[in-house]
Amino acid sequence: MEKDFAQLNYYEMLDIKPDATALEIRSAYNSALQIYQSDSLASYSFFSPKERKEIITLLEKAYFTLINEKEKESYDNELIRLGIIDSTEKNAAVKGPVSIFDINRQRDTSGMLKTHNAELKAKVSQNQRIREILSQQKISGADLKAIRNELGVAIENIHQETKIRIDYLNGIEENNIDKLPAAVYLKGFIKAYLKCLCIEPADEISARYMSGLARN
Amino acid sequence: MAHIWPIGGGKGGSGKSFLASSLGRLLAKSGKKTLLIDLDLGAANLHTMVGVPYPEKCFSDFVTKKIPVLEDTVLGTPFPNLFLISGAHDNLDIANLPYDKKIKTLRAIAKLQYEYILLDLGAGTAFNTLDFFLASRNGIFITTPEPTSIENVYRLMRAIYFRRIRHYFSATDFKALEKKARQQSGDDSFNKPEHIISIVKKEYPEKYMLIKKDFNSFCFKLILNQLRKQDNTDLGMQICKIIKKHLGINVIFTGNIAYDEHVHDAICQRVCFLDRYPHTRAANDLRELNSKMSDSLGEQLMLNYL
Ligand SMILES: Nc1ncnc2c1ncn2[C@@H]1O[C@H](COP(=O)(O)OP(=O)(O)OP(=O)(O)O)[C@@H](O)[C@H]1O
Ligand SMILES: [Mg+2]
Repeated sequence: MEKDFAQLNYYEMLDIKPDATALEIRSAYNSALQIYQSDSLASYSFFSPKERKEIITLLEKAYFTLINEKEKESYDNELIRLGIIDSTEKNAAVKGPVSIFDINRQRDTSGMLKTHNAELKAKVSQNQRIREILSQQKISGADLKAIRNELGVAIENIHQETKIRIDYLNGIEENNIDKLPAAVYLKGFIKAYLKCLCIEPADEISARYMSGLARN
Repeated sequence: MAHIWPIGGGKGGSGKSFLASSLGRLLAKSGKKTLLIDLDLGAANLHTMVGVPYPEKCFSDFVTKKIPVLEDTVLGTPFPNLFLISGAHDNLDIANLPYDKKIKTLRAIAKLQYEYILLDLGAGTAFNTLDFFLASRNGIFITTPEPTSIENVYRLMRAIYFRRIRHYFSATDFKALEKKARQQSGDDSFNKPEHIISIVKKEYPEKYMLIKKDFNSFCFKLILNQLRKQDNTDLGMQICKIIKKHLGINVIFTGNIAYDEHVHDAICQRVCFLDRYPHTRAANDLRELNSKMSDSLGEQLMLNYL
């Protein structure tokens, strides 16, 4: 009860286990930001602006360390050396993408994405891979999926935000023509998808996607 | 001994009295002999919510010794099994209840023969309010999802934390502690029990262990009231997470109560909301809360006062 936030280890700060996958780390970071960001209702008045800033800085540091494989490795080794974690605790069992949102439980995520727009935008502008994809002449469903994965947003989350059916979203990402909705709807869906990920200009990019599709 | 549920919330209008009367009604309906005590002295109105418009006796009669035994101030209500000690007609403010009367009251409450005793504590962080909240391990915090209300409930939680630490020290020792906290962490440390506790840990390790054990035994609950459609349903969880992480207090998020116009309608008609509008969202929420809370009864010790 007296432990200062600064004294917690990165896993404790983010409330995750040392074997958390990259997606789990991202999602934990997102939830933490939701709580600690200055416009968060949950922590309203609880921290002074200075305390809040310190916490956000620590969270960023935790996140960027853990999300980087090399840095995570050496951080883990340090914790193991200090006897804080066990070497068996680390090493993720599943390395592949894992849904970061609990699909079974209906929850209101609308407020959540809103507070994350700024963060998403920052990520979009800083991410090399996304910039490369967006500079392509042709944008495919697989490209959209790659962007989404780079941003660490689960497909369920897009579904909840845009209300587009999951099977359509899957069809789009898999480039599965049979599963796609009619073209009139499709363009709107692509735009909504892009907007949901804060990818702009959504109009122009969805047009590139559509023309790529038409040529196939 | 009775299960005692003190109900506190920062801000006026967050729904403390509404919650007390509703839970009281539900407990009574399920056959539990239940007593509501209106300790919102000075602004008492619980009687109006449980169909007792003109209480002919009240808590202050016990304080002024007009009625020597607390049990004799109890009023019946139109509902079977539901009883009330009214706070009406009080020219007494809770903040002005003298120390010896408070102790006398707490002891008397502990001896009352009911299955459940719910305390409507009113707003604010007067020491007396805090002490009544700390009379049981099962205090309930209620807030609305508005920054003003959340600010006040955090202030209340910290004040309770502070007050609890205070119970472990003499006045002079505690003053010394406060002074040290101010020197180490600046002026606003005065409002932050987390600073004081870190000093206690260093300088009074045995007391620290006791306080820690004490806090771990608390079973506080948080309820969010008047949630509208667009509100974040995870807010309660998030608040509890912050409290746990930064104050080290376990507060269990128990649930949301929807905002419902019918609450206002029922109060204006001076009828029980749950009876008048049983099929509304808010009524469902209340029933769900009630069953969750009666399921999770911890140890019911009255602390320190016996
Ligand atoms: N779930 C709800 N939906 C709609 N209105 C509500 C709800 N809960 C409470 N209210 C409204 O809020 C008003 C205040 O509630 P209540 O009197 O219970 O608050 P309180 O916390 O006891 O306030 P005080 O500190 O002034 O005693 C009620 O009159 C009612 O109209
Ligand atoms: Mg009230």
